[in-house]
Amino acid sequence: MANPIIMPKFDQMTEESAIVEWRKKEGDKVAKGDILFTVETDKSVMECESFCDGTLLKILVQPGVNVPVASTVGFVGNPDEALPAVEAPKKAEPVATSQLVKTPTAAPPPPVARATVPVAGRFKISPRARVLAENAVIDPSKITGSGPNGRVVEKDVRDYLAGKGYDKLRVSPAAKNLAAKEKVDLLAVQPGEGGRIAVADVECALAERPKVMSKMRQVIGQRLTQSVVTQPHFFVTVSVDMTDLIAYRNQFKVAGAPFTVTDFISQAVVLTLKEFPDVNSSTDGKSVRWNSRVNLGVAVSLEQGLVVPVIRHADDLTLAEINAAAKTLAEKARAGKLAPDEMTGSTFTISNMGMLNVENFTAIINTGEAAILAVASTLPQPAVRDGKVVVRQVMKMTLASDHRIVDGALAAKFINAIKAKLEDIELWKRLTS
Amino acid sequence: METFDIVVIGAGPGGYPAAIRAAQLGASVALVEKEQLGGTCLNWGCIPTKAMIAAADLFDHIKHAGQFGIEVKGAAINYAGIVAHKNKVVQQLRGGIGSLLTGNSVKQFTSAASFFDRNTLEVAGTRIGAKKIIIATGSTSIVPGFLPKSPHIVESREFLELEKLPATMIVMGGGYIGCELACMAAQLGVTVTIVELLEDILLLLDADVRREVRIHMEKNLGITIRTGKPLEKSEAEAAEMVLVAVGRKPVTDELRLENASVKTNKNGFIPVDDFGRTNVANIYAIGDVTGQTQLAHNATSQGIIAAENAAGAKPGKFESLVPGVIFTSPEVALVGLTEDEAKKQGRAVKTGKFRLGGLGRAIAVAQANGFVKWIADAETDQLLGAAVVGAHATELIAEATLAIRSELTAAELGRTVHAHPTFSESWMEAAHALHGTCVHTAPKRRP
Repeated sequence: MANPIIMPKFDQMTEESAIVEWRKKEGDKVAKGDILFTVETDKSVMECESFCDGTLLKILVQPGVNVPVASTVGFVGNPDEALPAVEAPKKAEPVATSQLVKTPTAAPPPPVARATVPVAGRFKISPRARVLAENAVIDPSKITGSGPNGRVVEKDVRDYLAGKGYDKLRVSPAAKNLAAKEKVDLLAVQPGEGGRIAVADVECALAERPKVMSKMRQVIGQRLTQSVVTQPHFFVTVSVDMTDLIAYRNQFKVAGAPFTVTDFISQAVVLTLKEFPDVNSSTDGKSVRWNSRVNLGVAVSLEQGLVVPVIRHADDLTLAEINAAAKTLAEKARAGKLAPDEMTGSTFTISNMGMLNVENFTAIINTGEAAILAVASTLPQPAVRDGKVVVRQVMKMTLASDHRIVDGALAAKFINAIKAKLEDIELWKRLTS
Repeated sequence: METFDIVVIGAGPGGYPAAIRAAQLGASVALVEKEQLGGTCLNWGCIPTKAMIAAADLFDHIKHAGQFGIEVKGAAINYAGIVAHKNKVVQQLRGGIGSLLTGNSVKQFTSAASFFDRNTLEVAGTRIGAKKIIIATGSTSIVPGFLPKSPHIVESREFLELEKLPATMIVMGGGYIGCELACMAAQLGVTVTIVELLEDILLLLDADVRREVRIHMEKNLGITIRTGKPLEKSEAEAAEMVLVAVGRKPVTDELRLENASVKTNKNGFIPVDDFGRTNVANIYAIGDVTGQTQLAHNATSQGIIAAENAAGAKPGKFESLVPGVIFTSPEVALVGLTEDEAKKQGRAVKTGKFRLGGLGRAIAVAQANGFVKWIADAETDQLLGAAVVGAHATELIAEATLAIRSELTAAELGRTVHAHPTFSESWMEAAHALHGTCVHTAPKRRP
């Protein structure tokens, strides 16, 4: 009996997934443990292994189609086996967005505008008219039909072409073939230099065609939009004098303990969150939950988007442990190997653009949290010390808070408490002794 | 101080057309050349080699005249006569350039040029001012440091000035310059060995094209080709003559580019953008000195475009489709993408080949070796590249260049009527072959 291949469920929140790529073709031999396909979940691309030996008999679900988890996506078995009569799983229907704030949901891709020649047949067109439009490489759906029930007839296409000045269009033979192959309407292509449509011009039109965004980007967009719409943000900025802390950290660096500035900031934030439990909380607008533990999200930017790995129970960790956890998570994130539960459950998030040479920026709160800290670059700035202008290493950081939970005064106290810790070298001496 | 709208440095195949085009557009133009009008191309490169290769070819034809029923006895090479022919050709063309420049009121300076600042050059002991400057100083042969300085170790320029040819020689470098001169020398009776460090000679060509040339060079011209190993110093010292053709480096030593803050890359070339501009706004560079395709016709095209840009015409970009021609025996030419390059772009590629052995004209004139080849996109039928090896290859490539630049498809080319009997018909036949409908090729499998 052929073994069904099941779309796995990666975490509690995933309702549906899409296959990114089949690594095996129908008819390929597979061994237990071979990668059959990759799946895009809300947050990453995961590899899926075969649980048995045999031959990949059938692929039911093509890449890019969202199907509910636990659907059968194919079969592995002996080549001469008959397949059970199973229909391909239906495309997932849009799932109603859950009202619970901490539950991200997968959404179907939005309808995409298509700058293409639609498949003829959905509207009424005579065969001769269709052939004429195909040969001219134009989109016949833009033509108003004069036949019965608005059917487009040959004369309509001729009139349309004449009206659009089609006979004056100059197109290179290769450009015309490319447009026909890619279903680009030649009348919608902007001619290049000399007024002749060349291959490069058709390629421009192709490049401008709307493309479906990766699931990761769609989820980022969805969650950030949800945050901005439901959580009223306000921003408080302070400047932190990092000169002494950097000097102190460099001592460790020389001694071989490679604490990063982010580690110190993380530790300072965790300590401060313990003092201000209101900021380590979440609300749905009616009730508020104070989180007893600090699960610290640290935003990591990747080529294809952004992930927020979570340092769990950061309030239990020493500076060295925070350093180790952050390092491991960041490496996993860059390698695309974060497990789903390493990307969920944060109670507060830090977004650090220190290495990107920015003066200051604001961040959008990670949905369901009360605030987010945006850390900018440390830059040399003139400062007054003992009545003299001196150069100090200054870092700006901006707290974005959900005004439903956090008021201005609280935000100011909270961020200043972080600042005070970062500037207090005696504290770090105690913490690292 | 005398001041010009545009000063061009270098009167090679890039520089002198730039000067003339700038003058045609109404600019006051000066052209500075430290040696001879025409540069490497006319004096020590393209033209003199072609004059001498013509002699070598003619001698080859005479040796094979018997097949046409013509008996020739006593044909012999008088190398001094060949050199005299070459010198006469060069002289005549040099004079031609001189009168074109004079006719266009281009002021000529015979001197090296060096920058004083970005708008001032030191030329022949005085300073001249320039609103715009075009650097067209070209390139010169690289001679590796391990080779001793000796009269029997020559590069291409010195080789062309020899008064007599050696009995045997080693050509170091199997690029197109090395191969051209190796073929010429072999046809004139020299026993030639080519030593190439890489795995094959003429690596810019597709493997099938390369193989065709190499077989002819080895079998018919008796050239020994050794690849994959460097030339040892002891071999170089023991050889009767070594011709060094391992590449060319930019000529910038005397320019004092630093005075104008013109940047060079790690190999000393002057990088330019698509419009020919260096990092300094009023200074342009074209041709070999830019480190792009080192071909005279590329320099000419760039020179004309840079001159138009410098003279304030609507800015134009350098052409990217540049044919390459190699005057080996047989000749080779290519344009656009090779089959390898097209595949590396991830395209589905179709090729169509036609051997000259199936062409009436080629057989009639007993030049039936070689083939033409189209490389096309399998999905759109667009002609992407072409290669030709065989007689008249360097002339035949013009049609392919025009077809590719016009974005023609193989179908269009195949429908174009080609005169019979000509070598050009091979393009049409190869375009048919690309679709499997070639009339003059036997089908691979009979039904």
